[in-house]
Amino acid sequence: MKSIVKTVICTVKTDGDYSHLFDYEDIVHYADHIEGVLKVLDISKLPVKSPLQLSEILRETGADRIVIAGIHPGMHKGIFANAMLRIGKKAEDVILADFTEYAILNGKSTEMAKAVLLCAVKGIEPSSVLIPNEYEIMPDTLVIGGGIAGIQASLEIANGGQKVYLLERTGTIGGHMAMFDKTFPTLDCAACILTPKMVEVGQHPNIEIITYSDVRKVEGSPGNYTVTIHKKARRVDINTCIGCGTCAEKCPRTAPSEFDSKTTLRKAIYISFPQAVPNKYLIDADHCTYVENGKCGVCVKVCPVPDCINLDEKDTEIKIKVGSIIVATGFKVFDASRATQFGYGKYPNVLTSLEFERIINASGPTDGNITFRTQDKKGNWIFTKDSGEPESIAIIHCVGSRDEHFNKYCSKVCCMYSLKLAHLVKEKIHHADVYEYFIDMRAFGKGYEEFYERIKGEGVHIIRGRTAKIEQKGNKLILRSEDILNEKIIEQEVDMVILSVGLEPTEDSKNLASLLGLQTDNSGWFNEANYTIDQVNTYTGGISIAGLCQGPKDIPDTVAQASAAAARVLQRIIRGSVKGSIKDLSLRFVEEKIKALM
Amino acid sequence: MRYKVEPDLKQDLKKFGIHDEWKDCFHCGNCTAICPLTENNFLFPRKAIRNVQMGLKDKITSNLDPWLCYYCGECSETCPRDANPGELMMTLRRYLTSKYDWTGLSRKFYTSHFWEFGAIIFIAAIVVALFAIFLPPAADLMLNPKNFINEQGGVMINNLSATFGGDNFVSIIEWGDWTMAIIVATLLITNILRMFYKSIIKDYTIKVPFGSYFSEAWQLVWNFALQPKFSKCDKKSYWIGHLLLMSSYSIMFAIIVVLLPKFQIEEIKPWYNWQRILGYYATFGLLFFLIYVSIKRFQAKEVSTKYSHITDWLFIIMLGLTTITGILVHFFRIGGLPGATYYMYVIHLAILVPMILIEVPFSKWSHLAYRPFAVYFSQLKKAAYKKQSSVKIAVAA
Repeated sequence: MKSIVKTVICTVKTDGDYSHLFDYEDIVHYADHIEGVLKVLDISKLPVKSPLQLSEILRETGADRIVIAGIHPGMHKGIFANAMLRIGKKAEDVILADFTEYAILNGKSTEMAKAVLLCAVKGIEPSSVLIPNEYEIMPDTLVIGGGIAGIQASLEIANGGQKVYLLERTGTIGGHMAMFDKTFPTLDCAACILTPKMVEVGQHPNIEIITYSDVRKVEGSPGNYTVTIHKKARRVDINTCIGCGTCAEKCPRTAPSEFDSKTTLRKAIYISFPQAVPNKYLIDADHCTYVENGKCGVCVKVCPVPDCINLDEKDTEIKIKVGSIIVATGFKVFDASRATQFGYGKYPNVLTSLEFERIINASGPTDGNITFRTQDKKGNWIFTKDSGEPESIAIIHCVGSRDEHFNKYCSKVCCMYSLKLAHLVKEKIHHADVYEYFIDMRAFGKGYEEFYERIKGEGVHIIRGRTAKIEQKGNKLILRSEDILNEKIIEQEVDMVILSVGLEPTEDSKNLASLLGLQTDNSGWFNEANYTIDQVNTYTGGISIAGLCQGPKDIPDTVAQASAAAARVLQRIIRGSVKGSIKDLSLRFVEEKIKALM
Repeated sequence: MRYKVEPDLKQDLKKFGIHDEWKDCFHCGNCTAICPLTENNFLFPRKAIRNVQMGLKDKITSNLDPWLCYYCGECSETCPRDANPGELMMTLRRYLTSKYDWTGLSRKFYTSHFWEFGAIIFIAAIVVALFAIFLPPAADLMLNPKNFINEQGGVMINNLSATFGGDNFVSIIEWGDWTMAIIVATLLITNILRMFYKSIIKDYTIKVPFGSYFSEAWQLVWNFALQPKFSKCDKKSYWIGHLLLMSSYSIMFAIIVVLLPKFQIEEIKPWYNWQRILGYYATFGLLFFLIYVSIKRFQAKEVSTKYSHITDWLFIIMLGLTTITGILVHFFRIGGLPGATYYMYVIHLAILVPMILIEVPFSKWSHLAYRPFAVYFSQLKKAAYKKQSSVKIAVAA
């Protein structure tokens, strides 16, 4: 098309979610100066949007084509097509310039909107011009987070023959899944699935595990990132430690065990759990007497390996160069003490589901016996093997989820893991009464509804109604709730309460998002490029997301997403290049490209 | 029994309340479980929300639950959806008041500012006009104010009027009092009969055992006098405050209607006289509560005082003005200011009369009658449920 087509541009400014992200005045000003544009019309200022009125305007200007520009302009196409037909023009000459998908580009949205508008006026498909740059890619990959998502993604890439750095904040990989007893709905032993994978990661020649570290700085462009990693002092030489445990035996200091979700105590020099990878000890500087006041050093004296423990080790920073990054930082569980009506932290036998997951685990503090929480001599509330068995247990769903005061979203996994816990209780204590209080039972997915039916068949009392409050009377806990399906108020007396806590983004996810240039949604989960068709990529080329950090999901979904993320990384590596972000495009670049095409 | 769904009910209810957040309710049952007053068969507020969401008008009008709620606000505070069930109960009380009222005025007063203020001004004007025509001030009130002061130095209140001097003045006011009381009582009693019809007769699910009408009657007096149900709410201060207000205006009512000839007399009794003590207690109670509630409503921090309907404010303002003008009449009288006493007396009645005629039968104050009757009726329903369940058990056995 060499000749200039006379065009009228109509801008549509809606009151929707995205309009405020665009500078409409600037766009209109720009549109006015495009060659061939006769008139720019703000149709939101028209009193009536009738085809008749619009056809009058079109006839006056003598336009051959209309461009409707704005958020979801297709909604208005009918009126304009009608108007065009009225003046004897073709309805095909109504062209849309949709800004919607560029709204998310912070700061760049107006510029991209102008580019889209220009494409529409010139009659060019935006997708043929708005192509981000391709960058050459470094073959190495950084996976942030050593949970099941990180492990799966690392293994996929490493098995494809590429180098992977697996970064983990704690002393061992494994994440939350290592803490679980069973997985739903198959009731597989979680450790039996996970630990072989952990060992494989630990021994893989292509995987370098960097534990006890976090990301401090990310520089460079897609395909070529330089990542600064802060390594906290482990104070135990990871290469020479033989994991004998003599140091922990003699260590005089204790602290709540993070791995056992604080249901028991560990030493200041510790290993999270016997299957940890790397299976090396580390010193918790916050609880070490030597770090506090320079006196002690018992561990150094008893360690059979010379120079293995260096109590004066300092934090270090390393830099690695990678081409792709997979973010798999996972989640944290909701802090149940925030929901004060349940008395968590006040009544010793109100537990979170993660705590219960540990005490019912055969490798947990009670060897898998369900017992009461008791106070030890030093005043710590912990679980021991011989503190008695509860006869009745209540499980409360939706703690911290689906609640305007905490998190509005559904955490997706709680219904199913609560059913699983109910089953495990019944398995361990046959005569125990188990009560489940739910709002809505969400048994989606393959085999889940069947699992729900199975648990109902096991004699678990499943009650529709949210527990309003818990009070302690003697050793008993009294739950007050409405049994909605029976239309009765019930006050149930139980020995133990499990709070099915929801999932939340980790504290530093916002920080990480700003380091990596990712966006988070209102709840703090990382935004994906497209929820329906591209859940693993982000708008920042070269960075993928996997697992819980993108939004609540169960283990099978996490693993699937991690594999998908790895596939994306391998795809880039095989192609040898990575598409940059659309953010890197400039209007001038697009203008020049269009000029070349004309 | 089939119930008709009325989709327009939601729009209609909007006129009676400020908020329609109850749309967000997902029926978790938290509000019902947290409420200390809810009982089996009276599972509010969730069931009321359900009825409103479904548009079951008949179920709402036959429901007594809104009257059993004292609005401590705990349900709204803990609601996981912020659906504000407490405020819905408040809205339903306004709606039910308009449904019980057969004159249709209540609905007009609640939904239209024009009607509400118009009626108040209209009645106030009538009061002033009646004074101007039938009880104008004595001619020498202005010229020789000393003539109206007795040997104690106080104003001779019953001699202020020109047309009817002496005891006639007080008996005319008393006659007016009783007329007003009879109008209000007639309206309330007929409305309560409608409430009875709607909630007991038209509730086809129950059949009240005859004996319980008598055996439960004590609930009426007991609940009217002390609101023992209110005391079950976790926020005890609300109950005590309410009791203070209620006892105050009950005393005031007794003094100014039943005992008026003994109260409005020429002799100024010493301050420790029981009449004066009671009067001071009642005045203090009213003032204290009104100031307290005004501050709360103005701050709008707690749930129960967060959302103030125009009728809530109007009630406080009118009761407050009545109290203040009453105090002024008292002090002008003791201070020996006959003119001020007379005009303040007229103003006092011009506020008091519309307040009683509008607030008591048609608006917020009607709950003084509906609440105890609702408790009574709910006891009847309970007796019916009890009997029915025992019959069912017998049949099953």
